[in-house]
Amino acid sequence: MAAFLAGAVTGILSGFGVGGGTLLLIYMTAWSDIPQTTAQGINLIYFLPTAIMALPTHIKNGFIEKSVLLPAILTGLAGTALSAWIATGLEVDFLHRLFGWFLIYVGISEFLRKPAAPKDDCADRQDIPPE
Amino acid sequence: MEKNRIRSAIAGGTAGLINGFFGGGGGMILVPLLSRWLKLGDRKAFATSVAIILPLCLLSSIIYLFRGNLDLIAAFPYLLGGAAGGLLGGKLFKKLNMSWLRRGFALLILYAGIRAAFFS
Repeated sequence: MAAFLAGAVTGILSGFGVGGGTLLLIYMTAWSDIPQTTAQGINLIYFLPTAIMALPTHIKNGFIEKSVLLPAILTGLAGTALSAWIATGLEVDFLHRLFGWFLIYVGISEFLRKPAAPKDDCADRQDIPPE
Repeated sequence: MEKNRIRSAIAGGTAGLINGFFGGGGGMILVPLLSRWLKLGDRKAFATSVAIILPLCLLSSIIYLFRGNLDLIAAFPYLLGGAAGGLLGGKLFKKLNMSWLRRGFALLILYAGIRAAFFS
């Protein structure tokens, strides 16, 4: 039951595209006795039903930008396959630390950023709250 | 409006590489790239990232499955919860305030960054 709730709460965030997965991983490693590798695997596949359930509404609301999908998904798949192939424990740890610093920069920058440019695609819509 | 295909490709490829190397977190770069670099704005960036990450996640899951790291039985309640949460999240998203969501997202990124930089 707790697992269902944890999945549901973080699933809402994942439906938003905010990455509830990070929170789910925290929950699993802190409050359940699921080992790390298994938790990572669960974290991966839990996103599948979550995204599948969220997407129809996003599409209906017109929030999916279709023109970016194909190029991004194609290279994304290639990137996923490539990194799965070449990743070894040693290189990844250093990269991970480096990436962490980059994320810190991104996090601060996103926190301080003013709302997106006034001319973004959703600016003229009446059915959503103004930024 | 047609969006820059090369930028889309770079954004997607970067997210894929990050997801593959670190087991996740590609969205943390993808969303800002979509929002600012591809000029989708926050709302469409968040939603579109879900659509992009889904197939990438599917591929990662298959790889994990082949490597024998997937425990489907343990995953089951999380899958059900995730499905319910995802449905609800999709419905709630339209009326959500993006400034708050972005800030919450930023804090999550900060947390992940600090953990990666200092505790990995």
